[in-house]
Amino acid sequence: MEAIWLYQFRLIVIGDSTVGKSCLIRRFTEGRFPQVSDPTVGVDFFSRLVEIEPGKRIKLQIWDTAGQERFRSITRAYYRNSVGGLLLFDITNRRSFQNVHEWLEETKVHVQPYQIVFVLVGHKCDLDTQRQVTRHEAEKVAAGYGMKYIETSARDAINVEKAFTDLTREIYELVKRGEITIQEGWEGVKSGFVPNVVHSSEEVVKSDRRCLC
Amino acid sequence: MAAARRREAEWGGRPQPRWRPQEVGAGDRRRRRQLESSGLAWPSGGGVLGAPLRLPLPRPRLQPALQARAMAGDNSKQFWKRSAKLPGSIQPVYGAQHPPLDPRLTKNFIKERSKVNAVSLKNKKASSFHEFARNTSDAWDIGDDEDEDFSTSSFQTLNSKVALATAAQVLENHSKLRMKPERSQSTAADITANFKVIKSSSDAQLSRNSGDTCLRNPLHKQQSLPLRPIIPLVARISDQNASGAPPMTVREKTRLEKFRQLLSSHNTDLDELRKCSWPGVPREVRPVTWRLLSGYLPANTERRKMTLQRKREEYFGFIEQYYDSRNEEHHQDTYRQIFERILFIWAIRHPASGYVQGINDLVTPFFVVFLSEYVEEDVENFDVTNLSQDMLRSIEADSFWCMSKLLDGIQDNYTFAQPGIQKKVQALEELVSRIDEQVHNHFRRYEVEYLQFAFRWMNNLLMRELPLRCTIRLWDTYQSEPEGFSHFHLYVCAAFLIKWRKEILDEEDFQGLLMLLQNLPTIHWGNEEIGLLLAEAYRLKYMFADAPNHYRR
Repeated sequence: MEAIWLYQFRLIVIGDSTVGKSCLIRRFTEGRFPQVSDPTVGVDFFSRLVEIEPGKRIKLQIWDTAGQERFRSITRAYYRNSVGGLLLFDITNRRSFQNVHEWLEETKVHVQPYQIVFVLVGHKCDLDTQRQVTRHEAEKVAAGYGMKYIETSARDAINVEKAFTDLTREIYELVKRGEITIQEGWEGVKSGFVPNVVHSSEEVVKSDRRCLC
Repeated sequence: MAAARRREAEWGGRPQPRWRPQEVGAGDRRRRRQLESSGLAWPSGGGVLGAPLRLPLPRPRLQPALQARAMAGDNSKQFWKRSAKLPGSIQPVYGAQHPPLDPRLTKNFIKERSKVNAVSLKNKKASSFHEFARNTSDAWDIGDDEDEDFSTSSFQTLNSKVALATAAQVLENHSKLRMKPERSQSTAADITANFKVIKSSSDAQLSRNSGDTCLRNPLHKQQSLPLRPIIPLVARISDQNASGAPPMTVREKTRLEKFRQLLSSHNTDLDELRKCSWPGVPREVRPVTWRLLSGYLPANTERRKMTLQRKREEYFGFIEQYYDSRNEEHHQDTYRQIFERILFIWAIRHPASGYVQGINDLVTPFFVVFLSEYVEEDVENFDVTNLSQDMLRSIEADSFWCMSKLLDGIQDNYTFAQPGIQKKVQALEELVSRIDEQVHNHFRRYEVEYLQFAFRWMNNLLMRELPLRCTIRLWDTYQSEPEGFSHFHLYVCAAFLIKWRKEILDEEDFQGLLMLLQNLPTIHWGNEEIGLLLAEAYRLKYMFADAPNHYRR
């Protein structure tokens, strides 16, 4: 039996080394914060279903990328087949915030001819006392790029769920409006299983019959 | 059942419980993680820092010296041709004949060396990326053949700019890590004082072949535990699966005796040592055997002690010159500090590679093996400050040199764009398409790309896929096999993949496949599994050595 989902979205998580990409994803997919985490090598794959409305499930496939510069030649191959992305920086690390622009430039080059919907994520918001980036300036930068901004903490499970589901909803709306379309040879968005459709059409037939009675 | 599992996988990210009981798997894995990441997550921050260290394709690699010495004279140009000499296509695994070394490499050695010296002196100001790249062609991995290399004087010709850039990068990252508060509580709570320090058996052998009576000094319970214990599973390095050491069989005793003989003979026969080591080195003699196999220690017993002393001093000379001067902090000899220093010095001497995540993993087996010389039983949570300064220095320096030798053989794995890895992943794909078409087509059908799982296999030499004890056993063979870490590893990866063919073919979507391949259930593996894996790898190697066109287009 397959779990029923409307769409499958592929997401990519990027940002400097040690900003907490893997921990954020693992909090989201496994529900726990790993006490220690291997530095990611190349790319890791994760997956989870989310329910954006009652009964409406989206399957998320998430690529976790290594932040280290040296792996860029590997990780950049994954932009093209992603429909959405979380761009992380660490609110206690100013440089990781300054590099946000560079990350976006990088994606711009490699995503073509498709587009990625990004959300800017200020991570480790539990460490507010060591904050080096204010929420205000992060919001301003995000707005400048037309992104949403959200602050998260994988350790304290703050906004983790929200970061992923908000992005998923945003993409879902674009798909619904036809601004993002399913395309042959592109893994970004795939449509769900047929049984769902068959099921609803049967219902339609049934209710029609009932109406005739 | 299957459906339930699938659902779990759909909803829950990594379907770990499927293969790996949480209690056992998580613990072991956590320990491995601790080792791999604690403080060694030594990332180069995003674009800005990494940029100056980018380099284009590397020169052809030179081979580790011991192989050069052992194999020089044989004139086969290609791996494949050599095998024509062998009767039959499939060779027995144990007591293998070792393929000879490519003689081109030894020839180039002299030329390249002089060329590089000229280049490094020419360094002025790098105005463009390419200029920079040309100028910083790695000069430091070449003179590795004998003891006289890496002399301090040649080291000083290192482009100071590059050195500074690397140093800055590394220290930047370190200070970042250090400043971070400990986000997790230390899990090491009550550790009983069951650690013992023993005299290094190889040192004992160096001075006199007294062998069996090692001094054992019980240690006091350590005062300060390292924040994150990072040495896992040492007690089980060679004693697969079992918690206590199983009694030695007659065969094992004979083998150990054979090793002792070889090691104590006036001039250790390295060919013979490789032959004996291929099927695994007894843990009692592993440290000294590894030093010999890596080419760090000379075969002549009389020269060993002096060489060790000199190399150790040399290493700490680097530390003094490049690390201490930039690092005001008082020396702390925690595991992390030691690893940091080793990686720092390596990075500064190899500007073409710099530091790549994954290299840190490669220090671990050496460190653990050399540590096991002094520490009896469980080294996990062992506080290194309980060791004498001398012991620590030996472990650190030896780990550095042996790791350097290893990295020399796989350096194009870590230069810009990691061409070595790209090539190997491609070769793996090619190989698998020949040896197991069904698996290969299965991947294609579900659009699984080899790079998606095998990148890490190459980048970290399967260390993330195997328990540490297995990696150590694997390295016994890699160090006995010519081009073990580079070429032979490819066949090991292929054998490793095919080992899971049933599980692979059972998965019927992209997601399931990737989850499986990222979390292969090896946590209970021991020597036996690795032995089988190596046997299969060896079989593959010879199968394709006889029919190169099956493998290379």
